[in-house]
Amino acid sequence: MLKYLARRLAATLMVITLVSMSVFLIFDVLPMDPARLTCGKGCSPAVIEANRHRLGLDVPVQVQYGRFVKGLFVDRQYGDGAAAFSCPAPAFGYSFNRHECVTTLIADALPVTFSLAIGAFFLWLLIGISLGVIAAKRQGKWQDKASTAFVLFGISLPTFISGILILLMALKFRLIDPIEMGRWVSPFESPIGWAKNFIFPWLTLALAFAATYTRFTRSNVLETSSEDYIRTARAKGLSEKVVLRKHILRAALAPILTIAGLDFAGLLGGAIITENIFNLPGLGRLSIRAVLNDYDLPVIVATTLLAATFVVVMNLLVDIAYAYIDPRVRVA
Amino acid sequence: MSGSRMAKRHLSRRLIATTAATALIAAGVLAGTASSANAASVRTGGTLYFITHAEQFDHVDPARVYTGRDIAFFNSYLFRNLVSYKPVKGAAGASLVPDLATNTGVPSNAAKTWKFTLRKGATWEDGSAVTCQDVKYGVSRPFATDVITDGPQYLVGALDIPLAADGSSTYKGPYKKTGQDGFNKAVSCKGSTITFKLNRSFADFNYALTYPAGAPVKASKDSGDKYDLRPYSNGPYKIKSYKVGDQMHLVRNKKWAKKSDTVRTPYPDDIVVRFGLAEEVRDQIILNDQIPNTINLDGLQPANNRAYFAKAEYADQRMNVYDPYVRYYAMNVSAGKLDCLDVRKAVFFAVNTQALIDLSGGSVFYGDPGDSPIKPVLGLDYAPTTGNIHDPAWDINGAPAKSKSLLAAAKTSCPTTYDKATNPAKGLTMDLAQSATNQKASVLIKQAMENAGIVMKFNFIPSGQYYSTVLDDTKQNDLSTVGWGADWANASTVIPPLFIKEGGFDLTQNWKVPEYAAFKTKSDSALNETNRAKQAKMWQELAQYAMDQYWIARPVFSKQQFSWGSKVGGVFYWEPQGTFGFGGLYVKR
Repeated sequence: MLKYLARRLAATLMVITLVSMSVFLIFDVLPMDPARLTCGKGCSPAVIEANRHRLGLDVPVQVQYGRFVKGLFVDRQYGDGAAAFSCPAPAFGYSFNRHECVTTLIADALPVTFSLAIGAFFLWLLIGISLGVIAAKRQGKWQDKASTAFVLFGISLPTFISGILILLMALKFRLIDPIEMGRWVSPFESPIGWAKNFIFPWLTLALAFAATYTRFTRSNVLETSSEDYIRTARAKGLSEKVVLRKHILRAALAPILTIAGLDFAGLLGGAIITENIFNLPGLGRLSIRAVLNDYDLPVIVATTLLAATFVVVMNLLVDIAYAYIDPRVRVA
Repeated sequence: MSGSRMAKRHLSRRLIATTAATALIAAGVLAGTASSANAASVRTGGTLYFITHAEQFDHVDPARVYTGRDIAFFNSYLFRNLVSYKPVKGAAGASLVPDLATNTGVPSNAAKTWKFTLRKGATWEDGSAVTCQDVKYGVSRPFATDVITDGPQYLVGALDIPLAADGSSTYKGPYKKTGQDGFNKAVSCKGSTITFKLNRSFADFNYALTYPAGAPVKASKDSGDKYDLRPYSNGPYKIKSYKVGDQMHLVRNKKWAKKSDTVRTPYPDDIVVRFGLAEEVRDQIILNDQIPNTINLDGLQPANNRAYFAKAEYADQRMNVYDPYVRYYAMNVSAGKLDCLDVRKAVFFAVNTQALIDLSGGSVFYGDPGDSPIKPVLGLDYAPTTGNIHDPAWDINGAPAKSKSLLAAAKTSCPTTYDKATNPAKGLTMDLAQSATNQKASVLIKQAMENAGIVMKFNFIPSGQYYSTVLDDTKQNDLSTVGWGADWANASTVIPPLFIKEGGFDLTQNWKVPEYAAFKTKSDSALNETNRAKQAKMWQELAQYAMDQYWIARPVFSKQQFSWGSKVGGVFYWEPQGTFGFGGLYVKR
């Protein structure tokens, strides 16, 4: 098991390293010049070059990458003379557009994205599993038909439409304060204020995911219900509630929770659309603005790397869990 | 009647008259004072909100603030300059008034030397006096081009400091202090008088000092790059908090004294700028007057804009004005591109200007066809040109017949360019920023060009990288869509930037053609001209020449719209900045 763990851990580190190198290379070969882009109008070649130096782009890409990796372990220095400053390790870089160390930006954005993801996660599991079980148990009846309609509605409605619709409704009925909307409130300071800020984004995300999970749950429950051991359990005289809780759901939900874990990890990288619609200053908004508005390479690298890390680590955890449950996986 | 009695009566009459007049004046003054005090007290207080989809102000550091809106905002609330634009509506708003200085500057030595004396009583947030050294330090910061980016470079280019071999200044700013002696000679303080020595005659140098880049900075508070988040104030407000993507909160600067400031009228107690609002949220706030003490810093989305301007009840909550910009297609006249005058003219006449204006909101919201790179709002420097849109053959819907006749002439005068423009395998290429509107515009342009027999292709560039691409002369194609607005009311901030290589925004690449040398000589002469009327005439002639050479196509004098809530008072359009007169805004009670 230890050997397996070491192998998987090494592979995970390799993937993360490759992702970071790829991001650097992609942005190096693209026909853009951040030094000119952030120079403003009417800037001379000398100013552009000074800007290139400031951004740390006046050295080959491998040196830039080396500096990035080094910064993860030791403080990173920026600027010269009286204007010099540093970002403490682990330093993902410095955003000259936002005038902050990228680690600070991520530390600010992460609680927002985590809050959004965790609330939506529980909401979609609650709705998706409940509706899926009800639909399976009432197969062919109006409850099943209603859940199918919900699934169709949820899946076919893109988040950017459902989000805007939910937002407009909330604005129309004055359920949210548009000026305060999206401002970060810590759950430790004001749990109600925190939940109030996230309720509509949670609904938006949960709507899309719950539909999928309803479908998964329904089919898994139906499939498991037809297994021989379920028939045996019923034949033993167990009540339908016990059969459902102890036998059907335990088997039917295992693969769903695996998928849910990966979906959750994906969301931790940032729910770009939802965060933008509801003005939430999370990782998704941070990264998309860095790409579209500022071409802020340090932020792009860090958020991409972080998103990849969440997915890879969650994959690792799932694999470890599987290896723990099923010894054949370790051999493979 | 004795002379003495006469004198006495006369004296008495004079005394009565004088006493009566004094009483009247006193009453008037008292009444006036009372009424203006009442008006001020009615306007004072409350929280004024600004909303925007943007994540942040482009810059807050005075040396880096460059857009008209941000200059107007920060100059009204945080930064005081030596001189300022008069905060009134109409053309009078473009006139200069003393701000930190006691006058608008005293030029000498053919406007190569400028002196300003600081008034007493101006203070920083901590109550310390604003000194001449603070102004000098503020002016020195734009030279640190490795720290201070994005800001205007007028002072860097104008101060009489030796240049290095690569054309940059030998002074590298206050952080490295390299070349400090050179700077100290160009900018010097004697008591409260600051003297600027320039490398050329610069008759409108004081206009350049309306930029915050010429504002004082307290050296001990300078935090380099991070100063862009928390500059130190000497205006009526100071920054309580500022977080990118969240909000900026301004509160009253209690150390600011009204008696030291004849320009600003700070009415609200608090000013909050909310960033990053989804466009739909921002629009709904305005469309429903949901937060009445709010000002929209952006335009509304096109459909919402039309709906808002159609509502009669919002007549007092909107403005539709000409902005400072001229939008046009820059024609790349370098060899192998649009190097043939006849082909350039053919392109100019082929464009369906009406369709393109309609696409962007029509003449009501987008603007009108222009005839010059200089906009009429510049007043003195604008004169209607001849030719181009005034040519009898020009048609706002496109004049394909005229274009075809010009192409026929080009077939003989410049066969290679003619072939490029008409050969389906080659064709002309236009640079466009990637956007839904530009995608639609490309269809209209292609159709109009096809009607005239011109083959047009398109190079869509991601909007964030557009200018960095087209400003690279090796990457720019035959035509590029651009816009430019004057930095102040003088075409010295239009003609040289747009048509002189060193101006930094010359997308015609005209420095590669023989006519350029004479054009540059005349432009340099105009820059050095101290007689304003003569200078204006020279700019008009240079604009006419640029139009005669068809260096630009489809100029449009564009418009912009502003919107705000029902509880916002004192709104006016501040012409020189092309935005709100922020200083006059108040929350209605």
